[in-house]
Amino acid sequence: MMRTVSAAETVPTTYPWAVEAEGLRVRAGRHLAVDGLNLALNTGVHGLLGPNGAGKTTLMRALATVLKPAGGRLTLLGEPVNGRADLRRVRRGLGYLPQQFGFYPRFTVREFVEYMAWLKEMPKTAIPGAVQRAIDRVGLAPKAGARMKTLSGGMLRRAGIAQAIVNDPAVLLLDEPTVGLDPEQRLDFRGLLRDLGVDSCVLVSTHLVEDVAAACTDVVIINEGRLVHQGTADDLATQGGEGDAGDSPTERGYSALLRRHRAEAGR
Amino acid sequence: MSRVFRIELRRSAALGSALILLVAGVLLLFFAEGIGFADGWMQLAMTQRLYLAVLWPLALAAGAWQARRERRSNVAELFASTPRPRAHRTVPTLGAMATAVACGYLLMGMSGGLWIIGTAEYLPVQVFVVTAVGVLALIAAVWLGLAVGRLLPWTATAPALGIAGLGLLLLIPGATRPRGWLALVFSPIYEMKMPDAYTTVPSRASVAQAVWLAALAGTAVLLFASSGWRLRVAALLPVVTGAALAVTLMPHQDRYVTDAIDPVARELVCAPGEPRVCVSRVHSGLLTEVRTQARAGLAILAKLPGAPTQADEDTTTYLPEDYPPWRGDVVLLRVEVGSNGHLDQTTVLADVVSGAFASPPRCEHTVGPAEKLAAAYWLLGREPVAGWANDPADLGTAVQLWQDLRQLPESEARARVAALRQAALTCSAGASLGTR
Repeated sequence: MMRTVSAAETVPTTYPWAVEAEGLRVRAGRHLAVDGLNLALNTGVHGLLGPNGAGKTTLMRALATVLKPAGGRLTLLGEPVNGRADLRRVRRGLGYLPQQFGFYPRFTVREFVEYMAWLKEMPKTAIPGAVQRAIDRVGLAPKAGARMKTLSGGMLRRAGIAQAIVNDPAVLLLDEPTVGLDPEQRLDFRGLLRDLGVDSCVLVSTHLVEDVAAACTDVVIINEGRLVHQGTADDLATQGGEGDAGDSPTERGYSALLRRHRAEAGR
Repeated sequence: MSRVFRIELRRSAALGSALILLVAGVLLLFFAEGIGFADGWMQLAMTQRLYLAVLWPLALAAGAWQARRERRSNVAELFASTPRPRAHRTVPTLGAMATAVACGYLLMGMSGGLWIIGTAEYLPVQVFVVTAVGVLALIAAVWLGLAVGRLLPWTATAPALGIAGLGLLLLIPGATRPRGWLALVFSPIYEMKMPDAYTTVPSRASVAQAVWLAALAGTAVLLFASSGWRLRVAALLPVVTGAALAVTLMPHQDRYVTDAIDPVARELVCAPGEPRVCVSRVHSGLLTEVRTQARAGLAILAKLPGAPTQADEDTTTYLPEDYPPWRGDVVLLRVEVGSNGHLDQTTVLADVVSGAFASPPRCEHTVGPAEKLAAAYWLLGREPVAGWANDPADLGTAVQLWQDLRQLPESEARARVAALRQAALTCSAGASLGTR
C-alpha cells in the first residue's frame, strides 16, 4: 500500500542518536532502579535483556516519558527530557506498549487504536488510514470490529502493538511484547520487528533471548540499573563458552556476560 | 475530534445514562403522582424540573461511574506517554456525557409532550427557559460526578454520590429556612411542585439558577480536567463567584415562583359567535369542548329574568388571591383539565347553570352548594347529581330541595329560583329555597 510521506518525515534528522542517555538515574518508588546508565540507540531493532529487577521496565518507562529522570541526562529525538521540558513534540514520535497494557474494554480494536492515534495528536485526515494499516500489520484485520474485552491474550498483545505503531513512531518501546503469543505469532512478530526496525529505533524488552537473536540487530544487556553490554546479536553469541549456562550460543553469551559483570561488581 | 466524540458517545457510559434518565423520567412523569402536567407546556416543564429530585442524583452517579473508567482500565501508564494534554482528553467525555443527559431529559419531555400535544396550545418562551435550566442542572450534575469520580476513583463513589445528591436536594429547603429564596437559588426542584394553570417561573429566578448551575459546571470541568493542585484550588473560584452572583440576582422574597402568575396564560380567549364563551389562553385548546355545553347552559339560563349572557372561565387564583373583574351578566366556569388533557367535567352544562347562582368575590352571604345544585337542576329539569366540586353530603339536601321545588307550581318555583339568583348577585343570600 502506498503511503503519503509528509514533509516532516523527509527532513533530515538533526540529532546524532534517537535515544541517548548519559549517567541516567531513574527511581522506581524509592529504589534507584536505573543508576548511571549510558546508552545510545539509533535506527534498528534493539533487544533489551537483563534478569528480573535489572531495571528494564523502569528504563522503558523513563524512555516513554512516563517517569521523570532523577539524574543524569536523557535525550529523545534530539530533545532533552527533564522536569521542565515540554514533552509534547517528543511524545508525538513515541510508540509505547507497557508491560501491563491497559485498554478500554468496551472499545473495538479499531476504535481503541483510533483513540490512541488521537491521543498521539496525529493529523485528523491521516488517522483512519493509519489505523487500518497498523491493524493490518499486526494481523488483527479480521478482529478490527471486535470489542477489546473479547480478545484473547495474544490478540490483546497484538492490539497493543497496533496502537504503539499507529503513529509510525521514531522511537518504539515494546515491553515484553511476545508474552501470550503462540510460536507462529512470534514468528510473524519477528518479521514485523525487522520491518519496523528499518526506519525506527525499536527497543524490545524481553526475557526470551531467542527472540533477540532472531529479530534484533543489536542487543543491550543491563543489570542492576547499569549497562552490561551493547553489541550485535552475533557478537553476543561469541561471548559465551562451553562452560556457560544455556542451550544456544546466544544464551551462553548472555550468561557469560552477566556472570562476568557480577564478578566485577563483587570485587 | 468528532470521530473520537462519536466513539465516546457509543462506548462510554453516555448511552446507558441517557437511557436510565429517560426511563426513570418517563416513569416518574406518568406514574409517580398521576399526571400533573395536563394543563399545558409550562406545567410539563415544571413537573420535569420537580423530578430532577431523582434524575439529578442519577446524573451525579452516572458521571462518577464514567470517571472511574481510567482507573478501572489501568490506562494511566499508556496515556501518560501520549502528547495530548489531559484537558483535551476530557473534552469528548464531557461532551458525550452532557449530550447524553440532555437527550435523556429532552426525550422525557417529549414523551410528556406527546401526551398533551393535542390539547395544549399555549407555549410561552418561559417553557424553554425552564427546560434549559433543567438541562443545565443535569449537565452540571454529570460533570460534577465526573470530577468527584476522578478525585475519588472508587467503586463506592458513584452510589454514595447519588445518595448524597438526593440528600442534598431534600435538605436544602430545611437548611435555608426561613430564607426560601436561598433554596430557590441552589435547588433546581424547589417550588416546582403541583404547578397550577396560570403559573410561570419568573425569568429572574431562572437566570439566577442558570448562573449558579453554570458556575457549578465550570468548577466541575476544571476539577475533572486538572492535573495539579493549583488548578484544583482555582476551580473553587467559579463556584464561589457563581453562588455570590446568583444570590444577588435572585429576588430576596419567599414564594417567588409559587406566587408568580403568567398574565398572558390567564387572559381570556373567546370562541367565535354568540353568546360569548371564553376560556383562559392556557386552556384555549379546550375551547371547542367548553363552547357547546356552555352555550346550552346559557340557553337554559335565559328563562331567568336578567339572565347571564356570557360564560367565562373562572380565572381566580388563591395564591396570591386575585379575582377576575365581577360582572352580573357573566357566568364563571371553573375549567378543570383531566389527566388525559381534556375537559374533566361531564357536568360543564350543569356547572354553567349553577354558576348563575354564584356571588361576587369576598361575599359573606353566598348561596349554599345544595341550593345551587337544586336550583340549577330544577332549571335543567332533572334530578341533581354531584359535580366535581360538590361535597357528596350536600347532594341529599339538594335532591330534597329539588323535589320540594318540583311540588310547587311552575311559576312559584321559577320565582323562587329567580329570587335565589338575585340574592346571590346582591350578596344577600340567607333564606333557603324552601322558605321564601
